[in-house]
Amino acid sequence: MKIKKLIKRIREDWVLYLMLLPGITYFIVFHIVPILGMKLAFQDYRIIGDNEWVGLKHFKVLMDSSAFYDVLKNTIIISTMKIIFIFPIPIILSLLISEVRSGRFRKYVQAVSYLPHFLSWVVIAGVWISFLHPADGGFNVIRNFFQLPSIDFMTSKEHIRWVLVFSEMWRSAGWDSILYIAAIMKISPSLYEAAKIDGASSFQQMRYITLPALLSTVITIFILNLGFFMNAGFDQVFNMSNDSVNSVIDILDTYVYRIGILNGQYAYATAASLFKGVVGIVLILGTHYLSKKYTGKGVW
Amino acid sequence: MKKIPWSKIIIYGLLLFLAVSVLIPLLNLLAMSLSDPKRVGELSGLGILPKGFSLINYEILLSHPLILKSIGNSLFITIVGTTLNLMLTTMTAYVLAKTEFVGKKVVIFFLIVIMVVDPSMITEYLLVKNLGLLDSYTSLILYRAISVYYLFILMRFFNEVPDSIIEAARIDGAGHFKIFTKIMLPLSKPAIATFALFYGIYHWNEYFRATIYLTDPNKWPLQVVLRQFVINQDNTTLLSGLSSESYDVVASLDLPSLQAGTIIISIIPLLLVYPLILKHFTKGALEGGVKD
Repeated sequence: MKIKKLIKRIREDWVLYLMLLPGITYFIVFHIVPILGMKLAFQDYRIIGDNEWVGLKHFKVLMDSSAFYDVLKNTIIISTMKIIFIFPIPIILSLLISEVRSGRFRKYVQAVSYLPHFLSWVVIAGVWISFLHPADGGFNVIRNFFQLPSIDFMTSKEHIRWVLVFSEMWRSAGWDSILYIAAIMKISPSLYEAAKIDGASSFQQMRYITLPALLSTVITIFILNLGFFMNAGFDQVFNMSNDSVNSVIDILDTYVYRIGILNGQYAYATAASLFKGVVGIVLILGTHYLSKKYTGKGVW
Repeated sequence: MKKIPWSKIIIYGLLLFLAVSVLIPLLNLLAMSLSDPKRVGELSGLGILPKGFSLINYEILLSHPLILKSIGNSLFITIVGTTLNLMLTTMTAYVLAKTEFVGKKVVIFFLIVIMVVDPSMITEYLLVKNLGLLDSYTSLILYRAISVYYLFILMRFFNEVPDSIIEAARIDGAGHFKIFTKIMLPLSKPAIATFALFYGIYHWNEYFRATIYLTDPNKWPLQVVLRQFVINQDNTTLLSGLSSESYDVVASLDLPSLQAGTIIISIIPLLLVYPLILKHFTKGALEGGVKD
């Protein structure tokens, strides 16, 4: 009886299923199939015929490979540097921008600061390679002005990670400040008026009104960032790396690209991917749990 | 005269510094590409005004078969891809946000899984290979036909359209497809325009899938050619594409300026739609929702 009713409902709604069909087909073919395809990590890849199950073979090789630990180490170092040095910048930026009352100046600064977010990493890498050029790049012009010698940043192992940090900052600080600016705009103006009457300086207003109001947004975004910890910026490294510095900025994703796409070790590369994916999911679920606990809002 | 407080000066100064540090590297490339190739050596790395003025770099780039072809390819991928993105995303979002049907919870659950779990680039590559879609635009257009993030944001937006309007249409005998095309789409024009921009920019900027899926240089989009030229420093591909009578022109060229010109060309379409992005953005259609 119940089943009959169910079938009747499904029949009545056939238009809905038809409308959903293209989307669902897409998600199955281009998401679910490649996700399930990651079982390849436990197989040997065969061009002809079925793949052969080999259990944890590739993971054992991975765990014994010093190259894997190198890229893991680079991933962790670069991600940590990015969180420490980039994360606070959009917050500071939003505080600065919200202090600006003049509409026009504010609008221009915002428009300019969002722009790099819309550039591709190929373009950004091109811009930075030119700006950091050892002979006549803008940054070395500044260094020379202060009597400092030119540095070839893009080929310097010492500096390249900082190039990653600052170019990512250049790209994302403006755009990422949007969420904080929106949060600041939601603060009731009457709070500031009351504080002014009580004689609070603008610094005190920021310290006791703006910052506390921002806290939950800050926590949410920090937690979200943690979820992407294992990424460390594939497109960035892919476009900024070269033979001189690859050993210090080769990360998990670029490693997967090299051994998989370039060298054709599909199964082994998938094992490395799967390792990264599992750590990533643990981080995302963990942060989802933390976020629910501390802010009452989940990641989704 | 009113005294300007120090804090104001510092705040404005910092913001000005920030805006300048975003713009100078870009304007420097523009100045480089517009300089006279004989005088470009005089241009400082911080200079934003061209030394002399010449359009020779752009003349060469825009008459180069590989570059011209790649601009066409990029436009094709962007237009077809974005159109497909919008059709699929809006239709799926409507069904999931505004209707009830058997199995909805399962679908939503799988979408959340898809949002959290990224497939490996290797299995994606093998999938495209097995489907016989290597060296075809179909793979580039299809592999991100719907962004799960945008889908969820659009669903949230659709949810704000009052159910009463849909109920009224139902009573008048309108089917779901009609409600979708005649009510939902016209009501959500601003949101759809915003997504068109974001999807469009995504396609225009895409280079990685094109790099690994397309081996035929004639099919490359502009970003891949740009990468080949600027990042991989492959000058021979570019120079060998020039017609033979321009050899003496080539001799007088400055390669970095030519690279700068290619970068500028790839940014121009973006700058054209940028006012729209800011306008739609400030309208708040996405405020607080979009990250990447």
